[in-house]
Amino acid sequence: MARAWDVPGLTGRARFRDAAGRVIITRWREMMSYRDGTLLGEDIEELHAMRVSSRRLRAAMDAFEGAFPRGSFRRYLRQVKEITDTLGDARDLDVAIDRLTRLVPEMAPDERPGIEGLIDRYRDERAAEAPVIADLFARLDAADFGARLERYVERHTGVSARRLAPRPPEG
Amino acid sequence: MAKPRPVTGIDPGRRLRPNARRIMAVRIDEVHSYDGLVADPARVTELHDMRIACKRLRYLLEIFAIAFDEDLEPFIAEVRGLQDLLGDIHDCDVQVPMLEDHLAWLDEREAAGARAVVAAAAPARPRRGRAPERAFREFRGRLDAARRADERIGVHALIARRRAEREALYARFLDEWRRLKRGRFRARLERALGIR
Repeated sequence: MARAWDVPGLTGRARFRDAAGRVIITRWREMMSYRDGTLLGEDIEELHAMRVSSRRLRAAMDAFEGAFPRGSFRRYLRQVKEITDTLGDARDLDVAIDRLTRLVPEMAPDERPGIEGLIDRYRDERAAEAPVIADLFARLDAADFGARLERYVERHTGVSARRLAPRPPEG
Repeated sequence: MAKPRPVTGIDPGRRLRPNARRIMAVRIDEVHSYDGLVADPARVTELHDMRIACKRLRYLLEIFAIAFDEDLEPFIAEVRGLQDLLGDIHDCDVQVPMLEDHLAWLDEREAAGARAVVAAAAPARPRRGRAPERAFREFRGRLDAARRADERIGVHALIARRRAEREALYARFLDEWRRLKRGRFRARLERALGIR
């Protein structure tokens, strides 16, 4: 599993508001670092890592909801939820295909065609997920979602994404 | 999915720890609100909701751990164990109906294939020079090729596997939940967080 990025400057004595800004911006940047690999679709681990990061971001937004005005924050939360759900649909199919493929040798010969037929069906469904993911990121780009989220977080927490500059863990 | 209960009294200007305590007190209570309900293996929705409650609590413990002196990792591991078991139960609860849908889909595909074969093999009058037996054998061969009955055996076997797994997973979950309660998990966690 992809390691979570360290949150720059976060200490146990931080103010709730300041911690909210640092954690959410770090998790957003962490998630988006897997975007190109996910869209390329050559390595299913890229999508997995992005999905895990999106869940970390979602959890951070749930945890720090109290630092933001409820109404406006919900709109950002809904968008992040859509990202998590869309990646989750594709990931669930990747996992199902992998599990079933490993199961085939364990099954009796007369049971195998059923499992292989199911794998074929899931592969077709998985192929249909790629354009859904591409469309989602195209919409996020068109709406300039990332920049808007970072500005919103800065406005309410005082934490600037540019100054925070979170980085992936080394090694 | 059950929505998280609202948390009141958050003051963003205060430090992390007092706010984290307020949030986690509510989420710990949420997990334990399913106690009793999940003693019934047929409570699929409640088992799923308890999984979500465990997930929320686990992430909060991970996020807020930095604000507490006590090592929260053992608590995180215990919640994660419970969440994983509930997740595996949920996978079975989702997969069995999906596999049953797949069986229905195979039936539909087979019916459509058979209809196509019958339509193609229904000439206005019998073709000259072909014995009826041979024509029937050919028709039967095409019909069998259109059928997908052989795929059902494996799908039925998979359904049986998932049901057996679900039963075993549920027994493990119940053991684990009872072990946590016997070990006063809630009281230990609340003490570690300074909630009580």
